[in-house]
Amino acid sequence: MGNARGSTILYVALLSLLALGGSLFAGTGFAASLVIWVSINILLAASFRFVQLIGELNFAIAGFVGVGAYVAGVCTTKLGVPFVIALVSAALAATLLSLIVGYITLRTKGPYFMLISFAFTEVLRMVYTQIDYIGSNSGMLGVFPPVLLTDYYPTFVVAVVLLSLIVLYKIEQSDFGKVLVAIRNNDAIVQTVGINVHLTKVSCLAISSFVAGICGALLAHANNVISPDDFSFLLAVYTLAYIKVGGESHIAGPILGASVLTLLAQVAMGFGPFEHIFYGAAIVIAVLLMPDGLVGIIRKFLGLPPKPQAAAKH
Amino acid sequence: MTTEILLKVEKLTRRFGGLTAVSNLSFDVQKGEILGLIGPNGAGKSTTFNCVSGFYPASEGRIEFLGENISKMNTAQVCHKGLVRTFQHDSLLTDMTVYDNILIATFSTISVKSERVRRVHETAEILNLSDHLQEIAGNLPHGLQRMVSIAIAFATRPKLLCLDEPLTGLNQTEVGGALAIFRRIRDEFKLSILLVEHNMKAVMEICDRIVVLDHGIFLAAGSPLEIKQNPAVISAYLGKRA
Repeated sequence: MGNARGSTILYVALLSLLALGGSLFAGTGFAASLVIWVSINILLAASFRFVQLIGELNFAIAGFVGVGAYVAGVCTTKLGVPFVIALVSAALAATLLSLIVGYITLRTKGPYFMLISFAFTEVLRMVYTQIDYIGSNSGMLGVFPPVLLTDYYPTFVVAVVLLSLIVLYKIEQSDFGKVLVAIRNNDAIVQTVGINVHLTKVSCLAISSFVAGICGALLAHANNVISPDDFSFLLAVYTLAYIKVGGESHIAGPILGASVLTLLAQVAMGFGPFEHIFYGAAIVIAVLLMPDGLVGIIRKFLGLPPKPQAAAKH
Repeated sequence: MTTEILLKVEKLTRRFGGLTAVSNLSFDVQKGEILGLIGPNGAGKSTTFNCVSGFYPASEGRIEFLGENISKMNTAQVCHKGLVRTFQHDSLLTDMTVYDNILIATFSTISVKSERVRRVHETAEILNLSDHLQEIAGNLPHGLQRMVSIAIAFATRPKLLCLDEPLTGLNQTEVGGALAIFRRIRDEFKLSILLVEHNMKAVMEICDRIVVLDHGIFLAAGSPLEIKQNPAVISAYLGKRA
């Protein structure tokens, strides 16, 4: 019963996204860009939340998005590879890197993993600044979607995001997804019943990073320009804000949080250098007043009991 | 009763820095038996348990399970050999339903979904948990939580089930019910049980043999009657007469 209602929340959120997608038919200017940003941020937040299922805060997500963006950019602008292959390459590159990083770092957990993932993102950003081939500090210019997709790029982004969300949701609902949640709950028990906790955590990070790589590729071709600063730890902080505002207990949380905050952020852009305060304030207000974000408020409104958070155990 | 040896612990020593928690300990568990591992607090029971189940590596000595050296194996590998343990504390997935608690235990050993579901229901029926499958495990009364923790381990269908103080906090009726379940799963599923427990009445009632530890050292082994009358065991538990 509760699960069915939970699914209803998801479907409502997905329908909202579809409505957003539909709005692009009204034009291709700012509204279309907004649709793209909202969609990519939703997927980014869902990817971040996926690693929260095992109880970890993955600040390396910004690094993996960056890898996806640069790999896709190099593929289409330097190598002349078709866009779809660039998209897949971006996702695979982020996945491969996450397998290596995750295998080494996921033996730690809690604050230790969070700090390592934070450092990873910042090191990667500095590496981009030292490589002339990808534009170093100036970044990479002219990352355009294929001509065939120019008018339909927002639709393409919405479709990819929807598909990715459904896949993430299905994985979360599967027995494998339950194992991820069990690891967050008590990893010693999971280990006792014959499950390799370390490799399962690495798999979780890899799935999340595959999606982050897709986000990077979509973002690069939406903005047409990418630079190292686009993939600093701030990107991970923004993503955390989306989840805190939307709620962690259901995949609808990232959808709601990213939609609301991305739209409100258009107002915050007027604050100039104080823009970041907006995200910080959003996190503080959400943590203090909305323990399960907007999802929690909806659950309360529907008379449902609160669900355990997908939050990290620290 | 068959005398085939399932678990053989030989000269097990485990040190933590300068502290020797278990020293030169040897014992075995035979197929189909319920072996009690007892001793006063700090005797080294839990350390022995942790070494046997792969949580701690042995500092010295050898642990064999079905003739294979498992001394260097981790917990997950030991589970796949057929040796699974429960925990004294934090023994279940408190945020998840009873169904999911048991389901997790079948994940690595059963690949077919329908077979997993069947195993969950069969296990729940044996542990008297069928009516609680959709309840959040952390919300259950203590006695049922103990049964869930045993169900998690038993759902893997081990050859040796290691139970760490499974009767702690249970009332007399619940203890009686738990002992009946232990006998049932031993008889129906031909498994052995290694039991660490402080409830001496229950240990004496259910165990075929008992091994006694004191300060990490082997003190005595024998039938419940022999242990009950052993002066060294009485002295360890009650203290020496002044």
